[in-house]
Amino acid sequence: MKHRYLACFLAPSVLLAIATTPALAQDTSPAAQIEAFSLEAGRAADAEAGKAFFLASHSGGKPDTPSCTTCHTMDPTKGGQARTGKPIEPMASSVNPARFTDSAKITKWFRRNCNSVLGRECTAGEKADVLAWLNSL
Amino acid sequence: MAKSSEPSTTVWDRFLRLAHWVLAVSVTIALVTGFFGGLPRLWLHLIVGVAALVTLILRLIWGFTGPSSARFISFWPTPRGVLAHLKSEDGRHLGHNPLGALMVFTFLGTIAALAVSGALSLGGVYKIGPFAADGFALGDLAGEAHELLAIAMVALIAAHLGGVIFESLRHRENLARSMVTGNKPSRAGDITPLVRRANIVLTVILALLVLAGGSAGLVGLAKRPIAGMPVATAPLVAEECGACHMAYPASLLPAASWQHLVAGLDDHFGEDASLDADTTAKISQWLSAHAAENADTLPAHAFVTPAPSAVGQITATPGWQALHKDIAPETFKRAPIYTRANCLACHKDAEGGRFSPLALSIPALPTSSPN
Repeated sequence: MKHRYLACFLAPSVLLAIATTPALAQDTSPAAQIEAFSLEAGRAADAEAGKAFFLASHSGGKPDTPSCTTCHTMDPTKGGQARTGKPIEPMASSVNPARFTDSAKITKWFRRNCNSVLGRECTAGEKADVLAWLNSL
Repeated sequence: MAKSSEPSTTVWDRFLRLAHWVLAVSVTIALVTGFFGGLPRLWLHLIVGVAALVTLILRLIWGFTGPSSARFISFWPTPRGVLAHLKSEDGRHLGHNPLGALMVFTFLGTIAALAVSGALSLGGVYKIGPFAADGFALGDLAGEAHELLAIAMVALIAAHLGGVIFESLRHRENLARSMVTGNKPSRAGDITPLVRRANIVLTVILALLVLAGGSAGLVGLAKRPIAGMPVATAPLVAEECGACHMAYPASLLPAASWQHLVAGLDDHFGEDASLDADTTAKISQWLSAHAAENADTLPAHAFVTPAPSAVGQITATPGWQALHKDIAPETFKRAPIYTRANCLACHKDAEGGRFSPLALSIPALPTSSPN
């Protein structure tokens, strides 16, 4: 009887541990994503252009979020903070290996955040450039 | 003042004096924390409240088992006796005079009523303690009664202190000191209480029986299932909504507000938080099904009516505004709070939707480093 109770306790703990562990190996990698966006853009990714794009103040988006840096800060190797006070994990894949390994998340957050900052979707070239920079730090 | 040459006699026994001063201190702290302490001091209010209740119970038992002037039968007030005392037709009472006796019973009754109304309010409104299962409506009503009784208690204390001063002057003695030492000057013509011996064994047995039985009963009451508690946020909702902010419990807004919010995710408080149609529909459905209309917590009742100008904003509801009116606007801006929307910064149980006042602590101002 005793080990059954133990199992009741352990099983959810193990599931919880799996659920909360940052999923590293998902369906894509930063390099694969950069390549896919470059292919779509028809040109090579430019990390310097990505840096300028990430750090710039834009217009056309929503007034509270003029730049990527509004929430992600000027240093992508450090954590940022959403306008709600919630911390955001670092964007640089060197310090946060979970970054850019889930294509659905990449699509979702580029769509949302480009619309918030620029008022439009980002082009494949812009996405390739930004990922190239964030992957080079 | 009592002349030192006067013979003195013990009137107030040790337990009676202890009970008097424990009640004086605990009721005073309860009044101060209740009127001025706010919810962050509720824990102290509860501790002194329980202390007063236990003391009250012991004093009630002592009223039947204690020595002469502690026994209720020695000073049970009659209308005739009170009237005679008011007209100063009676002499000096060594124990309680009829008006003082009336005060004692009014005090004991009011403290009992405060304990009951406080516990009902704590249960119904905050879902804490033996009456957590008895519903918000009853708790809210009991809370109103608790407040009125507390105001009455302040008036009673003022009357009691007035009476002590008046009687002390009238009979040229220090009644307050007598409640510390237990002794009073003994004078010819004094009206003395009935002579009774304290029954310590019976007192201890009764006290143990009443306190143990009462505690067991309260624990039993506290174990009843509580209707209308918020449910745990569904994993999909927790994941998507929790990506940018605390996953607000569905019980914090009415269904109509959630539908309005989820329909406008492309401009969600100044940001694009849009999701695919399937996820959007699932989240909207879940939030609506578990909305404030279906919960019985204080926040659910307070936030169920949204502000007409911002139906999707919890912090804009009149209920939220009223509950946070004492908090300075700057407090919300400082680290680690940053925004009114960050419930979790002060309410440690916010994600569960309970918002217990015992889980509430406003982060202290960062201490400036000495230079």
